[in-house]
Amino acid sequence: MDLETVKERAGPRAFSPKDDLPVEYREAATRMIQFHANSEIMGAYLERPFIRQAPSLDRKLAFSAKVQDEIGHGQLLYRAAESLGVKTRDEMLDELANGEGKFLNCFHYPMKKWTETPMIGFFVDGAAMRRQATLKRSSWEPYAHAMDKICFEEGFHVKHGEDILRELATGSRKEQEMLQEAFDEWWPRIIQFFGPTDDKSTHHDFSSEVGLKMMSNDELRNAFLTAYIPKAEKYGLEIPDEPRIEKRDDGSYKVVEDDLDWEEFFTVAKNSYEGSDIQIGKRHDTQEAVEWVRNVLDQHEQAATGAAQTAAD
Amino acid sequence: MIWEVFRQEKPGEYHTHCGNVHAPDADMAKLFAEVQHGRRKPTNSLWVVPQREVGEVDAEEATFGGSTDKSYRWAMTYNRVDESFAEEVADSQREQETADREREEVTSGGSA
Repeated sequence: MDLETVKERAGPRAFSPKDDLPVEYREAATRMIQFHANSEIMGAYLERPFIRQAPSLDRKLAFSAKVQDEIGHGQLLYRAAESLGVKTRDEMLDELANGEGKFLNCFHYPMKKWTETPMIGFFVDGAAMRRQATLKRSSWEPYAHAMDKICFEEGFHVKHGEDILRELATGSRKEQEMLQEAFDEWWPRIIQFFGPTDDKSTHHDFSSEVGLKMMSNDELRNAFLTAYIPKAEKYGLEIPDEPRIEKRDDGSYKVVEDDLDWEEFFTVAKNSYEGSDIQIGKRHDTQEAVEWVRNVLDQHEQAATGAAQTAAD
Repeated sequence: MIWEVFRQEKPGEYHTHCGNVHAPDADMAKLFAEVQHGRRKPTNSLWVVPQREVGEVDAEEATFGGSTDKSYRWAMTYNRVDESFAEEVADSQREQETADREREEVTSGGSA
């Protein structure tokens, strides 16, 4: 299939592994899904310490379940990416561990306090879910199928995140203050989650022409702000003065993007931020620590297939 | 030899199990599947798989979902917060409610 045909036929779940797709499509889809898979893994690493630091048994169980879910989402997405035939799962995991793999801006920052957890658990997960819901209509069928399962599970994550937010917002004065502090720090990053506005986004045009991506950064950010600003306000959080957010006549939001630190954003995007090394290092160390498990499984697989081949001969 | 057949009705949808056929080889299995399972019901694609290649684990040997209370895994548990503010969160909760109800029906041996 040539690129023109791909653009003509592009629609929800239009292409599957049995289609002969041009390299441009396969590479763009791999880049997008690998980024998504990496982000699931790196998000889980950010939340993992809170399994231990959770203030109650219920929270501990929920955090443990959530981290498990996110790692599982990473695996589903590596499968969807792998089926494009550009990179194997092992290659993508190696790239993540050695610092070549790219992932979401928010997961490059350390999360130290319990009062920060709703920033990821409610706002970042909420933003991600907004985006993921639109990707159920992506043109790469395995990606869309992965989204069906991910979105099914994700409702628990967002509501659990809000439950923590609610608890802290109605808690002691100290908790409320710490929550506001966390919000001030994370809010600009959360807004940058959606990336730069459309005219600055390099990959958007192609991805939307071939149906990989359904909505622009700007549309997604708008939809997110419309639902989540009232939530922040409901819990008594004060929206920081910057970035300035103006309401248009049609009710949608306009973010004054010059108020955001794009230099930092693009440093993060290149994995060159100070937090990047720390976060990637955690993944790298774990990857190395469980190398023996992978080796045992690989040997077992080879022995099993070897035996089957001998039997077939 | 027996082959299990999975039908996909429209492009982009899931292949779901619809039955099986007797056939001496893969080509004939596909032909028989086409005739038996793709003739009247809407069909975009069929997967045909040797039955002996299908692994199975059932409720006899496994306790699906575990044997302890795992309500912390479900969106409905967090009922002090409301899902309706975002369509995608509400959709997810509806799907979980359906799954939970169906699980209950299966485990209690109900009308499912």
